[in-house]
Amino acid sequence: MSSLIRRAPRAIGSLIALLFMTLGRIVANTWFWVEAWLLDTKKSLYGLAVTRILIGLTGAGLLATNYSSRLYTFGSGSAWNGELAEPVSDFPKIWLFSWFHQVAGNDALFTVLYIVLFALAIAMMLGWRFKIVLPVYFVLWISFIEMNDAVGDQGDNMYRIVLLLMLFADPAARWSLDARRRAKKDFPTILPREISNLLHNLVLVALTAQVIFVYASGGLFKAGGKPWQDGSAVYTPLMTERFGTWPILSELVTAWGPAVAAISWGSIILQIAFPFMLLTRPTRIIALLGIMSFHIGIGVLMGLPWFSLAMIGIDFIFIRDASWMRASALVRGAFLDEEAAPEKQAKQAAEAGDITASAPTPRPADGAPSKKKPAKARVPVRSAK
Amino acid sequence: MAETTTRPRRRAYVRVVMVAAALFTAWHIFASFLWIAPYSASAREVVGQERLSNYMIPMFGQSWSVFAPEPINGDYRFEVRALVNGEETEWVSASDVELSMIRYHLFTPRAGIVAMDVSSQYKGAWGDLSEEQQEVVALNYFKADWEERMASALGADGNDAVEEYMQQERRATAYATQVAIAIWGDDVERIQYRATRQNIIPFEQRHDPDAERPGIQYSPTGWRGLIVADGQSQEAFTEVFRAQYERMNKS
Repeated sequence: MSSLIRRAPRAIGSLIALLFMTLGRIVANTWFWVEAWLLDTKKSLYGLAVTRILIGLTGAGLLATNYSSRLYTFGSGSAWNGELAEPVSDFPKIWLFSWFHQVAGNDALFTVLYIVLFALAIAMMLGWRFKIVLPVYFVLWISFIEMNDAVGDQGDNMYRIVLLLMLFADPAARWSLDARRRAKKDFPTILPREISNLLHNLVLVALTAQVIFVYASGGLFKAGGKPWQDGSAVYTPLMTERFGTWPILSELVTAWGPAVAAISWGSIILQIAFPFMLLTRPTRIIALLGIMSFHIGIGVLMGLPWFSLAMIGIDFIFIRDASWMRASALVRGAFLDEEAAPEKQAKQAAEAGDITASAPTPRPADGAPSKKKPAKARVPVRSAK
Repeated sequence: MAETTTRPRRRAYVRVVMVAAALFTAWHIFASFLWIAPYSASAREVVGQERLSNYMIPMFGQSWSVFAPEPINGDYRFEVRALVNGEETEWVSASDVELSMIRYHLFTPRAGIVAMDVSSQYKGAWGDLSEEQQEVVALNYFKADWEERMASALGADGNDAVEEYMQQERRATAYATQVAIAIWGDDVERIQYRATRQNIIPFEQRHDPDAERPGIQYSPTGWRGLIVADGQSQEAFTEVFRAQYERMNKS
């Protein structure tokens, strides 16, 4: 007994030391894991490339749609609204973002700038000289879209924030003209590679946060409203002239009460659950399919196509690189070998998926921090063999 | 600990940059969280209201209470008529003319919602006037300096509602002037506009064949003198509006 007591201080001391060592190891391991995640490779390169393509397409599409009424809505035909004299938005008052504002009185210059902006949007889609194109596009786009604050929507804000964040990432590393150029010769990054990786990955974190905050808060705001609670909310805007641009479809969609309730409640549930559904692969697939249908619905039925396309574009960062590569291999296989039977194509795709997955650089990764192991995701591919 | 030996050596400056960039990202995310979340004064106190909005505005300005808590349940319309060579014209719905640019179109130009926006902003400002003031704006004002006279009749001094109203009055009149000249040409002497709102058939009654839309809410305004803003291109306005007006009348 006495020897036990004699030994106690030493035993307790060593246990405490062990505890601290374990804690220290956990902290160290976490630190090194995070460090490696941030510094070693760029994550979600394909997803962000798709975002770049769709964000460029959104800009080009919006500009094309408004081309014939550009002076009416944004230029000299709109002086009556007072925004040319005294901008409502903060941006035209900032020198850097006042390009369009400054040429508003000159229709020819305005149109030239408009076409330049369109060309930049296309260049962005193609990923041509992206590091130069994006900053110029960013500045010009804001200066354009903020000309008429009154007809803007929240999509403009989202679009601007995404463009700004993309400045620090590498969205042209895949599926772009830049990528082809880089492949020909060993390309140097402007910043040291680790720093370049760091910024890219932090942008993904910030983008993820931005998107999930938007969805979750949108859901919370809706949950407080009576029409959302009683499941009729979707009917209401679809019956207005502004947000029911396809009256026949609006009537069709809202004819059956349970469907209206399902869509109304479904939107809220999906929006609030979105952050958590990203955490595992099956729920992530449901979340992305759901939120994309939600956006397609808004885009078509409510007359907000470009807003919706931009939102869909951003959601694509949540699809892992491995999935994009598999999809790309499938598409490529289908085009390369017309004679091939579907099973053969699937096999080719599977092989392509395996080859790329075993290559060192493009480690499958998520925009959202996820504990999913890449090996698991390849299971269906293997079984296809 | 064996695994530490395989860990790559990091240069010190990389770690410094990493920590700094990660901290900044954390701040950005936290600020975005406070800004995007439903407004909470007590949560925002953590960083201070002013610091938060200085960081977020204008670059990260956003608000996601779209269609919430209650989605819009009515139509704003804007109609215009004019006095041309001493004769009153018919009312023309400018919002309908523009609506034809977006209805049954997949790709909708923003030009399609201009009149609705004018109407909605105008009606908002009109609704903030007192009944006596609303009676004043229902009167005709078209002779020289009518805006000053109207403002003083409304009791403009230091009254926010009147100041906002006069801005919207000017915006609506300037828009109506463009519409009138686009349709009836340069002989337009004065104009009158009607900014209205009409709610939709309530959800429960949507299958009732006898259901009628609730009545139109008017905001009566008298005749007005023309207002043409500096730098206004009548041509750029007319080209779009007139073409749409003619297309609509043809069909």
